[in-house]
Formats: sequence, C-alpha cells, structure tokens
Amino acid sequence: MTLHIQALGPAIGALVSGIHLSEPLSDSSRDALLQALLQHHVLFFENQPITPLQQRDLAARFGPLHIHPIYRADPEVPEIILLDTSTGNPPDNDNWHTDVTFIETPPMGALLSAKLLPPSGGDTLWSSGVAAFEALSPAFQKLLDGLTAEHDILKSFHAERFARTPEEQTRFDAARKNNPVVVHPVIRTHPVTGKKGIFVNEGFTTRILELSAPESEAVLALLVKHIAKPEFTVRWRWKTNDFAFWDNRLTQHYATNDYLPHRRVMNRATVLGDKPF
Amino acid sequence: MSFYQDFNDKTVTEAWSDTAREPYQTLQLTRLAPTLGAEVRGVDLSKEVPNAQFAEIQRALRENLVLAFRGQTLNSEQHKAFARRFGTLHRHVLAKSRAIAGGTDDPEILAWRTGPESRFTAGDAWHHDVSCDENPIWASFLHVTKLPEGGGGDTAFANMMLAYESLSEPYKALLDKLTAIHDGSEGWTAGYGAKPEPGKTFPANEHPVVARHPHSGRKFLFVNEAFTSHIVQLSRSESASVLAHLYRHIEKQLAFQVRVHWEPGTLLLWDNWATQHHAVWDYFPQERWGERVSVQLGFGPRA
Repeated sequence: MTLHIQALGPAIGALVSGIHLSEPLSDSSRDALLQALLQHHVLFFENQPITPLQQRDLAARFGPLHIHPIYRADPEVPEIILLDTSTGNPPDNDNWHTDVTFIETPPMGALLSAKLLPPSGGDTLWSSGVAAFEALSPAFQKLLDGLTAEHDILKSFHAERFARTPEEQTRFDAARKNNPVVVHPVIRTHPVTGKKGIFVNEGFTTRILELSAPESEAVLALLVKHIAKPEFTVRWRWKTNDFAFWDNRLTQHYATNDYLPHRRVMNRATVLGDKPF
Repeated sequence: MSFYQDFNDKTVTEAWSDTAREPYQTLQLTRLAPTLGAEVRGVDLSKEVPNAQFAEIQRALRENLVLAFRGQTLNSEQHKAFARRFGTLHRHVLAKSRAIAGGTDDPEILAWRTGPESRFTAGDAWHHDVSCDENPIWASFLHVTKLPEGGGGDTAFANMMLAYESLSEPYKALLDKLTAIHDGSEGWTAGYGAKPEPGKTFPANEHPVVARHPHSGRKFLFVNEAFTSHIVQLSRSESASVLAHLYRHIEKQLAFQVRVHWEPGTLLLWDNWATQHHAVWDYFPQERWGERVSVQLGFGPRA
C-alpha cells in the first residue's frame, strides 16, 4: 500500500489513506506520517477500527506516553483516555486548547479514535498556531516574542466538576500537587521545523508574566479570538472509526459541544514532547 | 508564583511626587492632586505679565500640566494676548460652526453654549483637543463665561506621562515604535454630527503613539478615543485591542486624574499634549457657556 496524503486546506489538515493503523507501523510509514504531520499539523484517517492496545502501541512508536492525572483511562490500558461524554458527564473541551500544556514537557502529539458518535454534531476543529502567529503584524509579533505565560491545570479542571466524590477528591488533590503551575514561552519555536507559533491557550494559560494584569488580559483575549479565525482552522466531522493524529506542539483544538443528550465516546493516546523554547 | 508587574502605577506616582519642585517667587500655587493640576493666585492676566512671572507660569505648567488661574477678569483680547505668549493662536475648523451652538465671528476663539436644546456638547469624552491637526494644539486656555446654576460642569484631566510610564516595559516597547491616525471626522462627525464644508474633508494626520515632550523630554501617551481611528503598524484587531486597553487604562486610573471645579473668574490652562480631558456634562438642562483660545507650536508631537 502506498500512503496517499490530500491537503484539506492551505493552513492545516490532511486526509491520509493507504495505511492500516491497527497493524504494526513500519519505520518508513512512521517517518512518512511524521513528515506529513509536520507539514499539515493534523492528519485524518478514515475507517480505522483499532483496539485500545493497538492504539497504545501505535502511539508509542512516536514517543513515551502521558497518563492523564484527571481523565478516566481504559481499565486495561492506562495510556488510553476514555472521553465518554453524555448528559451525566457533559463535554468540557468546548474551548480552544492545546492538550496538557500544564506540564513542563507538553505532548508532541495526540491520537484520537472515534468509537461512538451522536447522530450529528461533536465535530472537532484544529487551528494552526504557526499560521496564526504569521498573520500577526511584525510589531505585535515582536511584543509577544520573549514573553512567558503561566499554565495551570486548574483553569480547565475544576473541583466542582472533577472532585465530587471522596475518591475523585483524592485524585484531584494529587493532580494539583503533581502539576504545579508551569511557565512556557508565549511564542514557541517548533523543535523540528524551527517555525514560530502561538503557544498560549484558553484552556490552561492564566496570565503573561511580564505584562500588567490588564495588559495580560487584553493580549490573551486578543490571541484567543485570533486563533479561532477560520483561515487558520480545519473542522472535522467524525464518522465511527475515524482517527486523527495531531502535532500538539503548535496547534490548538476545540471539541464542539452541540450533541447532548446523545453520547460521544473517543479514545485518546497522548505522546509526551519536549520542553518548549 | 510571581506577581503581576502592575505595581508600576505606584512607583511612577512616587517618582512623580518625589521630583524636586522649587518654590515660586511670584505666584501662589495650590496643588489640586499629587499627580496633576494646581490653582494659581497672585497674578493678573489682564495685564502684561512680567517676564520673571511668566517664566514661573511656564514652569508651573511643566510641573502640573493643568493650571486654574483664579480671580481673573479677562476680555477676549486679553484672553488671546496671554495665550499668544505661549505660541501661535489656533483657528478651529468648527469655530464658526453652529454644530456646537456658540459660534463667534472670531476664528481665534472657539465659543460654545450648552443648554436645554443641546444634544451633544464640546468635550464630553476623554480627548486631546483637535489631535487630528498636523500640529495639534499644544495648550488651551478656557474661560467658562456662564457657570451652570446649581453647580456641575467640572473638567476632568488625566496625566498622559504617568499613563505611559505605568505600562509594563514590553508594552511600552511595543507602543514606542507605533504611529496612529487621528481623524477629525471621528470626533466631529461621529460626536457632534458636524460636516466639513462642501468639497473639503476634516483633517486627518498621523502622530506617534508615544511622543517626547519638547519642554521636559518626558514621554507621554498620545492616543484618544475621540480622534484616534487606528494604529498604522498593527492589524485591525490588534489595533482595536491595544486602543481599547489604553482607553480603559486612561479612564480607570483615578490616581492619574484630577477634577477641576470652576469658579467665576477662572482661566484654565492645560498642556494638551501631556493630558487628556473630559468635560463633565452633569448639569443638563442648565446652561454652560465657554470660550477657548488655543495655541500651536511650529510642530506636532514627535517620538
């Protein structure tokens, strides 16, 4: 089989065919996927049934895996997060975010498999932080380059939602203790491509350290709005067994919250990355 | 955890207040706030002010940015004669206009009458006077000829040097290199419903967002909501974000503001580059009449 890659837009997104992700990944396929990932930031694959174990093994070909401190995992495979949302556990990813920026070495990528979908809705959008950065004026780019910002797990994970039982409280307290506030550059350089992109996100970024509080609020509000411009984004309408693999270093994504009371189940594997610079 | 860098407003206020000020030999000054504004007594502006006293008035303006001369009785010629010592008299595009309901035949006097028929009045928002000019007014001399019955009609001022200095270093560095368009139609057409004469347009000019004062060398912020349309070097959304932030910064920093209360016989003089002002229209439907003379230097604000 040969890999076929079709761009879904100039800034971000490609549809990939000619590969079975449930099978062991050859070195050449791995390299080809990484190349495509660097170019398109998020890759979509159709009709890819995959077990949690197979998904873990696939993800592990790209690096060590992260175990999420809050989200529930597959009982057999702790590296696979079960994002199982419905009326009793409503969606909480309807904001623009980069996954797990609340740790020192945020993930390089994440791999998501669509298991159970609502009749319609539940689309996910991705945005290119590189395209968004390049669209800023040189003067504003210069302001941002060199600034640093705090990222806090508690901005997205609230006790009211995630510490409702004594057991959850214990897990929540441990998550807080093990994930103190971290500082990352506001503009990050991609470690492979060398391109610069916006690395603050609505999900976890609380403030820019070098600015005054009102300046920080104004700048973050502008960037959160800017990242969502359609020019920088792609929107994927899921089908069962669709699969997505994104470069989490300079992208953000948004999971549309429009399908309750229906249920949506996605499995995610998360590949650790390096320290942003 | 570290703190935000927003203790700046306290440290710049401290630095402003700690600046040494020599006593005055020929004037009595009463400061109206630590950061700007002073009442001046001991001078008769209807007469030729002696040079030594004039030099002290210039210094008092440099140090306080806003001076309220109390107990003055001035006719129009005396009003203009005093102003002329500071620069070239300004001719306002709207001087003869009925848009602000007080036009006179003297192009060097901007007169207005606000009363029960008024639906807008001059300066009812934070602004620098006529910043859309190529050489914007540097100083204005305002005489309120009829005070509202029952009080009110104060004029509030904000110190644009402190507004600049209290920003964070990265934000200052951003602003230092920017320029903005100031457009008369923003203030006058949107604000007063005034239209330029047929075949003409209101002035629109580009000025530095941060300028250096020609007398003190100190930097000040020079964008205002009435006239500034956009920042040239930024995208539309960036410009809107930066300007909205700066206007809020100017409005909410009460520590950098003073509110001048009018008394009969007051001539109010302000540095129109280093301050913005806002005429408080809290006396409707009472009447308030005023006459303003303004001066220009031979140049505009420079970075």
